[in-house]
Amino acid sequence: MAALVVPALLLVLLMMVAPMALLFRYSLNIYSATDLMIEAVTLQNYVAAVADPYYREVLATTLRTAFLATVIALAAGFPAAYVLARMQGRWKSILTLITVFPLMVGNVVRAAGWMALLGNTGVVNTALKAVGIGSVQLMYTPGAVVAGIVTVVLPYMILTLAAVIEGIPRNVEEAALNMGAGPLTMFRRVILPLSLPGVIAGSALVFILCMNAYATPVLLGGSRFKMMAPAVYDQFVRTTNWPFGAALAFILLLVTLGLTMAGSALLQRRYAR
Amino acid sequence: MTNLVIDGLRRTYGATVAVDRVDLEVAQGELVALLGPSGCGKTTTLRMVAGFVQPTAGRVLIGGTDVTQAPPYGRDTAMVFQGYALFPHMTVAENVGFGLEMRKIARPERETRITEALRLVRLDGYAERRISQLSGGQQQRVALARALVVNPGVFLLDEPLSNLDARLRAEVRVEIRALQQRLGLTTLFVTHDQEEALTMADRLVVMDRGRVRQIGSPEELYERPADIFVASFLGRCNILSGVLEAPGSFRAGGLLLPSAGERPRGPAALAVRPERIDIRPDGGCLPGRLTMVTYLGGMTEFHLETPAGPVLVTKPTPAQGDPLRALVAGDTVHLDWHNSFGRLLGIEPEGDLP
Ligand SMILES: Nc1ncnc2c1ncn2[C@@H]1O[C@H](COP(=O)(O)OP(=O)(O)OP(=O)(O)O)[C@@H](O)[C@H]1O
Ligand SMILES: [Mg+2]
Repeated sequence: MAALVVPALLLVLLMMVAPMALLFRYSLNIYSATDLMIEAVTLQNYVAAVADPYYREVLATTLRTAFLATVIALAAGFPAAYVLARMQGRWKSILTLITVFPLMVGNVVRAAGWMALLGNTGVVNTALKAVGIGSVQLMYTPGAVVAGIVTVVLPYMILTLAAVIEGIPRNVEEAALNMGAGPLTMFRRVILPLSLPGVIAGSALVFILCMNAYATPVLLGGSRFKMMAPAVYDQFVRTTNWPFGAALAFILLLVTLGLTMAGSALLQRRYAR
Repeated sequence: MTNLVIDGLRRTYGATVAVDRVDLEVAQGELVALLGPSGCGKTTTLRMVAGFVQPTAGRVLIGGTDVTQAPPYGRDTAMVFQGYALFPHMTVAENVGFGLEMRKIARPERETRITEALRLVRLDGYAERRISQLSGGQQQRVALARALVVNPGVFLLDEPLSNLDARLRAEVRVEIRALQQRLGLTTLFVTHDQEEALTMADRLVVMDRGRVRQIGSPEELYERPADIFVASFLGRCNILSGVLEAPGSFRAGGLLLPSAGERPRGPAALAVRPERIDIRPDGGCLPGRLTMVTYLGGMTEFHLETPAGPVLVTKPTPAQGDPLRALVAGDTVHLDWHNSFGRLLGIEPEGDLP
C-alpha cells in the first residue's frame, strides 16, 4: 500500500520541496550586484521588505484584492453551487461543463478579452462615446482586477461548494420546511451550517489563488497597481535581486498560510456548533 | 378539530400518472395507512399532503382549510421521514426543539415540551447527544419526538420503520400506535408492509398504480376484499378461476366449489384464505395431492395440487398423533371450506384498472 504513494511523493519532493528549500536558503543570502548573491545567514532581506512602505502597500493591495475577490466569489458562487448540486440528470452535466468552461480559457487570453472590452478604445467606451457619455476609465483600476480575478476563481468556488452541498440530504431541507422554517431560515439554520466544510475549503482555495494572482493584476491592473506575485517576479527577473525576491515570496507564503488557517478556524468556531 | 380531506388528488410526471383521483377523509384522531406495491403512489400522495409536491389536480384540506396552494411551512403537518432526516449538526434537544422554535414558543415552555417529548419516546437523558452518537432505533425515536412535540394537526409518516430490524420494528410499531392514540393525532401512514398496516391502522387504503383500490378497516379488507388485487395483496389468498354457472354454483376444474356472494354469471374467481380451508382424509369438495409440507414452528403450510389449480392451506402445527401431522408430500387428501369463506370476485384482465 505504502508503495502506491511513492510516485506522487517523489514528484512533490522534486518539484515542490526542493525548490522551496532552495528558495528559503536564498532568502537568507545577501544581494550582490556583481556576484548575484553572497552566501550568508541573515534576516536582513525580510527586515528590509517589512520596513519598506512600498512593499507594505503592495501586500495591503494584495490582501484587499484577495479578500474582496474571495467574498464576492463566495456570495456569487453559493447560489450557483446550490442549483448545480440540486440539479439532476442531463442538465447537471451541462451546467457543470458551463461552470468549468472558463478554466479552459487561459488567464492571459481572458485578460486580453477584458482589455478589448474595457480599454479606453474598447467596446464599452466606444459605445459610451457614441451615445455621448464620454469615455470612462475602466481598465487599470482595482475594480477591473477584482472582477478579473473573480471570474478566474469562481469555478473553483462553485465546484468545491457543490461537492459538499450535494452531500446534504434533500429530506433534511424538507424536514426543516416541514417543521415550519421558511426558505431563508432553512438556509441559515440547515444548509449553511451543513455546507460549512465547503465554505471553508472553497474560500481557502480561492483566497490562496487570489493571493498568488499574477497575469490578471499585471494585464488588468496596469503598471501602478502592484500585487505580491508580480513584485516577486520583478525582483527575480528585472532587478535580479534573488535574495530579496525569495524573502518577498516567503512573506507572501506565510501571510497566505496564516490568514487561511486563522480564517478557517474562525469560521469553524463560529458555526460548527 | 383537525381532520384531513383529500379530494380528487392527481399528480402526473410527464406521461407517468403517479397518483390518480385519490379521495380520502381521515377523521380527527384516526390513523389511516396507505398500502400498496412499490411505485403505486403512496409517497407522492403523502408528499402532496405535506406540500412538497404540487398536485396536478385536486385539493388538500386540513381542519377545513384548503391548503393546496400553501407551502410546506404554511401547513400544520409534521412528518417522520423515511431515513428520519434529522439535523446532523444539532443535538437531540435542538432537533426536537426546532419546530417549537419556528413556532416562536418561548424558551422555558420549549424546554419543558422537549423534555416531555423525549420522555414520551423514552429518550430522557439523551438531550445533549449528537445525532451521530445514536443507534438507528434511537434516531427513529428522535424523529418521532421532533414531529410529535409540535402537536401537529396532521401527523405524516413515510415508512418510518423500514430501517429498523424486525424485532425493533414490531416494538416501535406498538409505541407509535400508543402515542398516536394517546395524543389523538390525525395520522396518515405510508407503508408497504401489510402486517404493519394491519396492526396499526384504523383504516387501510390499498393503492395500485396511482389509484385507490379499496378503503376499509383491516377486517373489512381482509375478510371482504373488493377485488382480486386486494385479496392477493393483503395476506395470502388462493385465487381459483372458474365460471359462475348459477347463483351459488361456482365451478372450477370441473368441480362445484363452496362459494358466497352475488355476481353476474360467467367467468369469475374464487378467493379462499389458506387458514379457512380444512384438510380431510375424504369427503371434501376438492381432492388434492400434497406437493410440499413446510413446518414453520407454530404454523405448518400444506401446498397442494388440485383440479382447480395449486392451493395453499395453513394450519396451526398439528399435535403429535394428529393424522394431519403424518401427512407428507405425495399423499392424497380432500379439501373443504364453509360457503362463506369462498368469496366470489370478478376476473380482471391483466394491466386494466377499473
Ligand atoms: N419526481 C418524480 N419524477 C418522476 N416520476 C416520479 C417522481 N416521483 C415519483 N414518480 C413516479 O410516480 C410513481 C409513484 O411513486 P411513489 O414514490 O409515490 O411510489 P411509492 O408508492 O411511494 O413506492 P415505494 O413503495 O417504492 O416507495 C412511480 O412510478 C414513480 O416512478
Ligand atoms: Mg415511497
